[in-house]
Formats: sequence, C-alpha cells, structure tokens
Amino acid sequence: MGNTVSLTMDGKAIEASEDQTILEAARENGIYIPTLCQYAGTTNVGACRVCLVEVEKARSLVASCCMPVSSGMVIRTDTKAVRDAQRMIVEFLWASGDHNCLACESNGACELQDLVYWLGIEKPRFPIEPPGYAVEKTNTMISRDLNKCILCGRCVRACNEIQVNEVLDFARRGYRAKVGPAFDADYINSECYFCGECVDACPVGAITFAQARFSGRPWELKKTRTTCTYCGVGCQMDINTHNGKIVKVTGNRNYGLPNQGSLCVKGKFAIDFVQHPDRLKTPLIRKNGILTEATWDEAYDLIARNFKTIKETHGPDSIAGLASARCTNEENYLFQKFMRAAIGTNNVDHCARL
Amino acid sequence: MAKLRIEDLKNIRESTRAAMSLRVEMPPLKGKPGVSDRASGKDLLICGGTGCHASGSLGVKKALIAELEKRGLSDAITVVETGCNGFCAMGPIMVVYPEGVIYMLVSPADIPELVEEHFVKGGMLQRLLYREPSTGVVIPIMQEIPFFALQELRVLRNRGLIDPEKIEEYIARDGYRGMAKALSEMAPAQIVKEVLDSGLRGRGGAGFPTGLKWQFAAASPGDVKYVICNADEGDPGAFMDRSVLEADPHAVLEGMVIAAMAIGAHQGYIYCRAEYPLAIHRLNIAIAQSKENGLLGKNILGTGFDFDLEIYQGAGAFVCGEETALMTSIEGKRGMPRPRPPFPAVAGLWQKPSILNNVETLANIGQIILRGGAWYAGVGTEKSKGTKVFALTGDVNNVGLVEVPMGTKLGAIIHDIGGGVPHGKKFKAAQLGGPSGGCIPIQHLNAPVDYETVAELGAIMGSGGLIVMNEEKCAVDMARFFMDFCRDESCGKCTPCREGTKRMLQILTNITEGKGREGDIELLEEMAVIIKNASLCGLGQTAPNPVLSTIRYFRKEYEDHIRKHHCAAAVCAALFKSPCQHTCPVEMDIPAYIALIRSGRLEDAYRVLLRNNPFPSVCGRVCDHKCQSNCRRGKTDEPLAIKFLKRFITDGAARPEITRALVTRKEKIAVIGAGPSGLTAARDLAVRGYTVTVFEELPEPGGMLRWAIPSYRLPRDILTDEINDVRALGVNIICDTRVGMDIPFARIEQEYDYVFLAPGAHKSQLMDIEGEDLPGVYGGVEFLRDFNLHEKDWLAGKKSLGAKVAVVGGGNSAIDAARLAVRLGADVTILYRRQRQDMPAAEEEITAAEEEGVNIQYLVAPLKIAQENGTVTGITCRRMKLGDFDQSGRKRPIPIEGSDFTLGVNSVIAAIGQTSDMGFIPRDSGITINKRDCFVLAADSLSRTTRARFYAGGDAVTGPDTVIGAIAAGHQAAGDIDEAIREANGEKPYEPPPEEKIDIPMTIDEETVESPQVRMPELHGADRKKSFKEVELGFTREEAVQEAMRCLRCDIEI
Repeated sequence: MGNTVSLTMDGKAIEASEDQTILEAARENGIYIPTLCQYAGTTNVGACRVCLVEVEKARSLVASCCMPVSSGMVIRTDTKAVRDAQRMIVEFLWASGDHNCLACESNGACELQDLVYWLGIEKPRFPIEPPGYAVEKTNTMISRDLNKCILCGRCVRACNEIQVNEVLDFARRGYRAKVGPAFDADYINSECYFCGECVDACPVGAITFAQARFSGRPWELKKTRTTCTYCGVGCQMDINTHNGKIVKVTGNRNYGLPNQGSLCVKGKFAIDFVQHPDRLKTPLIRKNGILTEATWDEAYDLIARNFKTIKETHGPDSIAGLASARCTNEENYLFQKFMRAAIGTNNVDHCARL
Repeated sequence: MAKLRIEDLKNIRESTRAAMSLRVEMPPLKGKPGVSDRASGKDLLICGGTGCHASGSLGVKKALIAELEKRGLSDAITVVETGCNGFCAMGPIMVVYPEGVIYMLVSPADIPELVEEHFVKGGMLQRLLYREPSTGVVIPIMQEIPFFALQELRVLRNRGLIDPEKIEEYIARDGYRGMAKALSEMAPAQIVKEVLDSGLRGRGGAGFPTGLKWQFAAASPGDVKYVICNADEGDPGAFMDRSVLEADPHAVLEGMVIAAMAIGAHQGYIYCRAEYPLAIHRLNIAIAQSKENGLLGKNILGTGFDFDLEIYQGAGAFVCGEETALMTSIEGKRGMPRPRPPFPAVAGLWQKPSILNNVETLANIGQIILRGGAWYAGVGTEKSKGTKVFALTGDVNNVGLVEVPMGTKLGAIIHDIGGGVPHGKKFKAAQLGGPSGGCIPIQHLNAPVDYETVAELGAIMGSGGLIVMNEEKCAVDMARFFMDFCRDESCGKCTPCREGTKRMLQILTNITEGKGREGDIELLEEMAVIIKNASLCGLGQTAPNPVLSTIRYFRKEYEDHIRKHHCAAAVCAALFKSPCQHTCPVEMDIPAYIALIRSGRLEDAYRVLLRNNPFPSVCGRVCDHKCQSNCRRGKTDEPLAIKFLKRFITDGAARPEITRALVTRKEKIAVIGAGPSGLTAARDLAVRGYTVTVFEELPEPGGMLRWAIPSYRLPRDILTDEINDVRALGVNIICDTRVGMDIPFARIEQEYDYVFLAPGAHKSQLMDIEGEDLPGVYGGVEFLRDFNLHEKDWLAGKKSLGAKVAVVGGGNSAIDAARLAVRLGADVTILYRRQRQDMPAAEEEITAAEEEGVNIQYLVAPLKIAQENGTVTGITCRRMKLGDFDQSGRKRPIPIEGSDFTLGVNSVIAAIGQTSDMGFIPRDSGITINKRDCFVLAADSLSRTTRARFYAGGDAVTGPDTVIGAIAAGHQAAGDIDEAIREANGEKPYEPPPEEKIDIPMTIDEETVESPQVRMPELHGADRKKSFKEVELGFTREEAVQEAMRCLRCDIEI
C-alpha cells in the first residue's frame, strides 16, 4: 500500500492509497463508474473510454481506470460532459455491431446492454452497421460472433496476461480492427488451447459457449460451486445447470485459490460425460463372463477377497498400485499408504509418469 | 580514420573550410584570413533530395559530370550532390558557386548548353533561371529570390551547401562543436538549462518545452535510459524531417548525443519510417562515419561518454508518430498508444525513462549549445522562440521547404515566400498541422504563426505541414478528406477515435453527396467535442480539428451543401452534373448548349439558353462567367470560352418567337426598376399568369445594362431585342416614372398585391476629398449615364471631359469610364490604390483598356482635386506602399508620407463604388435598409424584405454585383412571390409546364489533345479607339465548333 492521499469525489471527501486508480477509489467508496474494457488481473488499457470522469484542471476527460489518484484531486463522475461522452461512446458501440438481444446468449448478462439501459439510450443516432463477419462455428466449444465484438480487448488480455497462451491479439487497424488468432485463423486451426478464459472475459455476446447455445438464459441458470474432477489441483468452478441439466461451466474469480477463476479445457468444456448414457453409475462385476451391476459393498468385498488371496498365494509384491492424476493429493497420499501399509508393497506408481 | 579528439575537430574544420570556400561564405577564422586555394574554380551543387531525385537530378548529375569531363573542366569544377535545397517545385535544382546562380528545372538535355553558356562563355543560361511568377522578372542569384531571401535558416542551415554523406563538410560548418562543448565543458544540468533558456519547444506538433522534457527524464532514477528520435513523419503534405535527415543527418545525431548526455542515456533509437529510403541510407552513412570517428559509441571524443544508437524502421502507421505508440512499436508490439501517466520520462521504452524528440527539434540542439540559448531565443515571439520549418504545398507557386522565425505572418509565408496562389486564383485557406490541424482562412493572413495564435485560430502548429488551398477547394470535402485519413489511421484501440472518426466521415460523406440532413452540423460539432475530449491519444484528440475549423470558418458551405445541395467550389461531384452548370448562378445547362453548337443545332441551343436566362445575348457579352473558373478543362490547359460560345448561339440563330403569356391570375404585381433583376422577375411572373407592371425612372429600360455598360461592349439593339421579348410576354414597362416622385409609394402599396424592389445601385460613392463637388468631377456611373442620355451632345463636343482625364478606382465601372473617355478623345489615367492583381475589374477589361492606351498608375490614392477659379486643373495624389493583409486577403495600401504629386487633368471620374438611391422608400414603410443603403432581407427568406408583400433583389440587396447575379435574384424573387401567393390562397405549389424535349448529343472524344481557348477576334487600331463599334467581333462557326469540341462533357455519366 502506498501513502494515503485525500481527494474529493462527487463532492465527497475521500481517502485513497496513492497507488490506486480513480476507479478503484470510487469503487471502494461506493461510487459507480461504468467500465467495459477494464478487467481485473490484467493491464488497465483505457480503451473503451466509458469510465471517463472529470478531473479539475485536466485538459480533457480522464479515463478513471488508468489514472492514479493524487492528493487534492477533485473528481466528478456524473457531470453532463461525462454522461454525454459515455452516451455517445455507447451509441458508437451499439451502432457498430449486431447487438440483437433477442437471440443473444448473453442477453441479461451483457455489460453493453446494462450500460445502454443505465444511460437511458433509446436508440443510437447512427445507423447500425455490423461488419458482417461469418459466425465462427468450427469447433464444438467456443462460438465467436465478431459482429457483436466491441473491441474492448478483454479476451486479448485474458489470453495473454492471465493464461499466457498468447493466441489472441488485434489484427488490422482502426474500425477494421478485429480480434483473433494469428493469420485470422479460426480457433480450431490456431494455437488455441481452449481454456475458455476469453469466453468468461467477454462482456458481450461475442465469445460464447457453443454447447450452451439455446440451452438456458443467464437468469434461468443455477450456478453450483464445485471442484473440478479432472486433476489434483482442485480448481473451483461453477456448474451452470438448467432444469437439472449441466449447461456450461464457468470460472468464478471470487473463489480465489487455487485457480482464481481460470480453468483448463477439460474443466471448462469436458462436461459431456456427466450426462452421457454410457457413463458408469454403479460398479460392475463379471459373473459368468457377463458384467453385472453390483452394489459398492459387493464390489469392495470382492476386491478385498481377491487381493487377500493373491497376497497370501504370491506375496505382496505380486500386487502393484497405479494412481490417477484425477485424484487429489490427499487421495494419492492415502493410496500409497494403503499400498504400503495394507498391501505391504512399494509397487506404487502414478499415471502421470506413464 | 582514427577516433577523433576535440582538438582534431578544429583541424578538420579548418582544412575542410578552405576546400569549401567557394560555396560557403565562412566567418573568417582566427588569425587566418579566408584564403582559398581554389580561387579559380567553381563548385556546382546539385540537389539530391528525394524530390529532386524524383524529378531526375541524378540524371542531370551524370550528364554534367560527363560533359565537364568531355570539355576538360573536371578539375576546376567540383560537382557536389547536396540534400534538399528547399525549392522543391523547381527541381532538379543546381546552384553554381561562388556566384550563387541558381538553375531550375534542369534536364540532362540542357547540360551541354548550360556548360557552354555558363562555364565556357562565362554568361548565364537565361531560360533556366528563376522567373518571378507574378511579374516575370528574372532573378539569377539564389539569395535574391524572395523564396530564399526571406527565410532564416537555422535547422536548414546546411541545406544545399554540404554533401550530407561527408562528415567533414558537416564539421566544417561548425558541426559537432556543440556536442564537444556539451561533453567536455558542461554538466547535464547546464545542458538542460541552456535548452530551457532557448525556449525551444517540440517541433513534432505539441510544442512541449524540450528542456522541460529533458529535465523530467534527467530527474528520473535509473541507469538505463533512452533517447529516441521521432522520424516517423506522417502528416500528408509534410516533409521537413525527411529533408533534414537527407540534407544534414549529422545535425540530428549531434542533437541526440547532447540529449543523451543531458539525461544520462547511453542508447538511442531513430524511429524512421521505412518509406524514407534515402533518409535511412544517409542516416546509416552518417552513423557509420560517426562511429568510425569516435563521435558515437564508446568514449566519444575521448570524453569518456558512451552513446550508441540504431535505426528502427517504422512500417508506416501514422499512429506510431505518437510517442507511446512509437515506443510500443520499438518494443516489437503492435503500435498502439498507452495511457499516460506514466509518462515516458518516467517509464517509456521498455518501462525505462525515455525522451522522444522530433527530428527538427534535435537538429536545433547543436547550435543552441554552441551559440547559447539566448541566441536561439533571439528570434520568434514571446512564447514561441526560434524558427520553424514549414513544408509549403498545395495551391502555391513556390512549393518547398521554408524556415522562418516563429511569429512570421501567415500571409508573408504564403505570398511573399510562397509566391502566392498560381493562375491568379484566390487564396481560400491554409491547412496547418495536417489532419490534426485546422484551416486558417483569408481574413487571418496577418496572423503571426506561433503556437498560441495558431491554436486560437483553431489550427495547430503540428509538424509544420502548410497546405495552401485556393478558392476551388471545398471546405466540406477538405474536412472529409482529412477525416478519411484519420479514420484509416486510427489504431482502433479506443472507441471515440475508432468509431467516432468512422461516423464523422460517414456524415461528412453524406453531406458531400447531397445526403446531409438538418442537424448534421450540430451533431458533428457535438461529436467533435466528445471525440477530442474522450480519446486516448493525440490522434483521436485532434482528428476532429479539421471539421471544427471548417465549420467555424465555412459553416455556410456546410449549410449550402445540406440545404441547397450546392458546392460553391464545384468539388463535390455527386451534387451536380457539371461544374460549369453548378457554378452558374442560374444553373444554365452549359454542356448541353455547347454540345448542340458542335452538332450545328443552334436553334435548339438557343432554346436551352432561354430556359433559365432571359438575357443570353447580354450574358454572352458582359457576364463575369463564373462558370469558366471551375471548368474542368482549365485543369489541363484553359477553360472553355463559355461566354463567347453563348454569344455565338445568339448571334447565329434566329430568336425564338415569344407568344404573349395568358393572364390566369388575379394578383397584380409591381416591379420597381427595369434592370436585369426586375425584368427577369417580371418575365417569370408573367409566364406564371400574373399581371406585371414595371416602373422605371429613366427613359429606357435596361438598368445598368443600358446606362452603365458602354455600347462597344453591349450594342443597344441587342439589349433592346431581349427586353422586347419580356414586353412581348405582356409585361407593361412604364419608363420615365420614379416611384415616390412621379407616382406615390402609397399608390403602389394600394394598387399592387406584391412588389418587387430592384432599383439597382446607380449612385457613385464619394471619394470624400476636397474639390469633389467641382464641375468636371464626375461619379463613374453618373458619367456613363450622362453620356448615354446625351450621347449626341458628348459626341458633338457640347459636353466635354477635356484633354486629360483621371479615373479613380479599379472596378469594371472605372474601366468602362476610362475606355469611354478614350473614345471621347481624352488622354486617360486610371489611379488605383492597390496593385493590378487586386483590381476587382475583369482581367480582359483591364487588358483592353491598356491596349486602348489607358495609363494605369497603381498604388496611388487621391488627396484633393486641384483647381483654378472653379475649374479642375489636376488631382493631387499620394503614393501608397503595401502593408498588412486586410479582411479580403489583399495587402492594405498605406500612404507614403511626402510622396504627394499632382497629375494635371481637366476632369476626374470617381468610380470607387456604387450604392443605391433609397430615397423612394418612405421611412415608415417597414422596409429595413442597412448602413450600406441595401435592403435587409427577412432571416427566413432569400428575397423577402422585412415587410410582407415586398421583395427585393439585385444590386440593391447585394451591393454592386454581376448581371447574372441580378438575373438569379429575379428568378428567386419571382418564385418566392408566387409561392407566397399560392400559400396564402391555400393553393398547390406552381408546377412549371413540361419542358420542351431537346435531345442532347452524347459525343465524347476518346482522347483530349491539349489546346488553348480559341481567341475572340477583336476590332483593333483607330477604328476601335475612335468608335463605339463592338470591340469583340464574335466567333465564326468554325471557331465556335472548334471551341465547343474542347468541352470534356463532365455532365455525362457513363
């Protein structure tokens, strides 16, 4: 924390740390400043310009997301000049794309939509002219409709600064600018790892979950916190369900460690198995050559009985244990303990070494 | 070469100076008089800047070397390729020293003759010397040409003098002395102070004090700092930096080393756009030479200071000229700006403290350190010190690079140094600061060009691009052009710039295409303010400037585009069929009648003329033909002779029969004044079925056409025929009747439903000098009218001007009066207080007067009329010199004390302007008249006065104007009166009867061969000076067809 400085915001005397931005100080003091491009955990770039505020003695309006506070600053977040600028900027963004909320997956969870409503814009003064890009549907996980892209760059920073996958960047210049992988490739033909960070970062409906299309509106989804089953890291995530069915998985930055809301391709997208008809839901025991459903007690009994026989007949080293990366550390620890103490062998290994 | 030490520099300087003594006048060296060992030789300097390379200077150089070789002159004559000389319009350029003679537009084919004339015979090759565009005077010596003489060279001090690829020539011109001083004698803080004292401000555009920037970076903690030179010059029309890099690259390197010393940097970059290959080539040579000589690298000049630099080539994005984007680009990332703070002085390139200075800024540094900050601050204005280099381009004679002290008047740069606007066109505005700047219009030619004044006027200094625009440029189109540039160059990072420039361009494009809507101007203004206020970097913050500044100064042009779909400059092609038709105040279908001449269908052509002009044979003679000024053909050779072609139709075809118009309406309309405006309105209203009565004070109708324009220009029968056509429609013209005297104004008010006031401007303005009321002193129009009323008396000698006549004034009336006086046998002198190019009279009229022996004295103004016993004996005048520019963009005449002289004359004609005689309008009429004695129109109308039912037009509204302007006003008023009547009656608007179909031939020539206008045959000699025969004889059929074939048919869309 830097030194504390005193300043005035919207007529209110407040204190802030000198390494804070105006936006951070405002949020801490319950003053709302809208943002679009600002995305925690990434560089503040000052691109969208909706977080403009008036600072006394400044030459022009100031982007609060990247302006550090300083002692004696007099800031106003709600003047006519600020609102007029915000309104025009939001009109620009609205008119620049195909922001058709009726069929948009992000309807109800769209930051642009929220801003339009908050600023009370009936309709933009400029003709609505989406760029006319084809919607990218070449993979089963992420759907990209760049006609809805507002070029805030959150996905670019999420990709480069959070996941450090360095797949996304801007291409072309000015109003032709476009976000994407190198050489304008589709995700599937690029170096993309499908971590889905960009999907979570997108404030509008430009990057969405392909599997979730038409499977539930944001307000219909029930989010359930869970731990990812794919590996031992224990990533926290929200399972989004609608009518008892899993629709998608989203990261939740509020859960903090270990993953701070980030996920990998498996945790994010490999959810089909949960509701797959082939999924095993009970143990099977081969009886007379045929796999037959059994209870867990039956299964454990059988395993214990057979291990005991093998150990007595051939000695403990005739048994080896192979643990899984999908188990937690604690489970793996227990497993080797079991092998050593209960079975009596050091023949323990792990799938990650294969 | 070994690594140099400080004392070595001095030796190189002295030895090289001796070798260069022919071309460079050096200050005498201490203890050594400027002795040259090459007294007999010559140095021949060929410009090797990019501009001259493009126009072929390398070929010239090759031919020259070969020719000198052939003639055995190679030893005596040294050929040197220099950087840009600055006078780019005239390249390839060659200067011969020691005499300093400059040759221009040299081609390899000229070389044998040039060598023969200059170097063998010792003379000069006249045809390649400079010729002053306005006067034609030849000026052989470079330093005597105003373009060079009026400049003050500091940054460009070595241009055209040294070979930029030879470091010793730079050293000879005091090069690296400032650096040696800084490294050996000065502490970093002293260097910063010297630069602060100089008042130098960033020459890249923003004008931030250079010393302050250095001070911040010097104060930033850190071992690793950077000095960066911004050579990413990207403004359209700007080429100062390129020229400095090409002509004097070491000056930039020297500045960078000094800057490095000041802030404690050891590494530098020159960010130069890849489109400057010659600049990069010469920079590479300079860097290599400096490194080899120990002027860059480790232990510079043995002082222990290390500094190295490299060139980073930019890929051509305009935004990379912005400092943070430039640094991001050097880091290898996409060149996009970063928010500030942190400022580069704290965290710049690779987050290290960095300074970024423009090429021109850095090129000043060596001299500032050597000569001191006070020396630099010795020129310029209070807040803008030193000099500034401008790239002067566009519609200006002397396109090139000029360096002048800050605060030099804009007009001086454009007119005195730049030689003014070519082809006699009028200056409209100068765009300063490229696409981030704004325009400065004609009324501000006196503005001193410094950071503050320029900003107040809505432009910015920018990097110094100065684009001159003449009257043929459209303000809206210009704004559209620059917005198109900014939209393309916006990096796309921030919303206001990315989307805002796109939307502004969209609106501007709509306006130029006739799709503008009410409210667009206000929306543009609102957008401009927000985009300026909200954008992330300088690009977006300045992109709306051209829009704001054109709206500020040319709002009416925007309104005309939106409301009338009219582009006065005839640029916005979507608004019209052809520029000539669009420029004509009554929009005559010029291409159509010209095409009909070509196919010999003169009767059809005549009918086309009469569609919107009741006086085509008058206009064929005396129109000021605005149409010709915008003729596209004029861009290749000369405009079409549209006026003469129009006359040819009326000369060559039978007049179409006029049938009386049926009176279908009950309303009665009075027209006051039977000039072109009144008669046009009368004709239009008669055609629409109204009963029209015209009241005329003088004995015959015609107004100025009859009473002011002499018959040698407009034969009376021609005029009478066209007026009779108006009568034939049923218009009643009552002459010899002055309203207010012969018929009371109240009666007009009572008896007529609507009144059109078109009394013209028949009263001369007074000179306001002693003796003006003497007999023998006439007003211009009064004299012309008197002659026309009493022609017999004048011709019989009953009335006389005497032997010698002075005419005061420079307008068409002055010329008419002078030429008439010549025909009365007088010796005539015109006295005009400005210069010839400032005369409002038509150029062809001035020439005709000169041909007829009229003597014109320029820059003189009358003081009093001399008299003896009540008889005029002369006119006392004072000579004038030219001062500042006035609102009209012309230089103001200023009296020269003690220059008075008296011209002996018998009479004086004062033709300095006319006003209307408004005595017939009662004071309580509710019709407002302004100070200039003109009718004031209602705010919402183009013809209604401040009183309902009373309309006005012609000279009585506008002040003295043209025939075609008066005709247009007549059309306007007639339409407005008719509309008002129908609206009051609840009728539908007037629908003109379907136009008679005339097929217009679509012949287009595949190729255009350059050919000038066909000249109008004229009467010459005594027959002309002594008679009132028409001077212009008219085209023959062959001449007319030949001229008609020159038409490019801009009206045809394929």
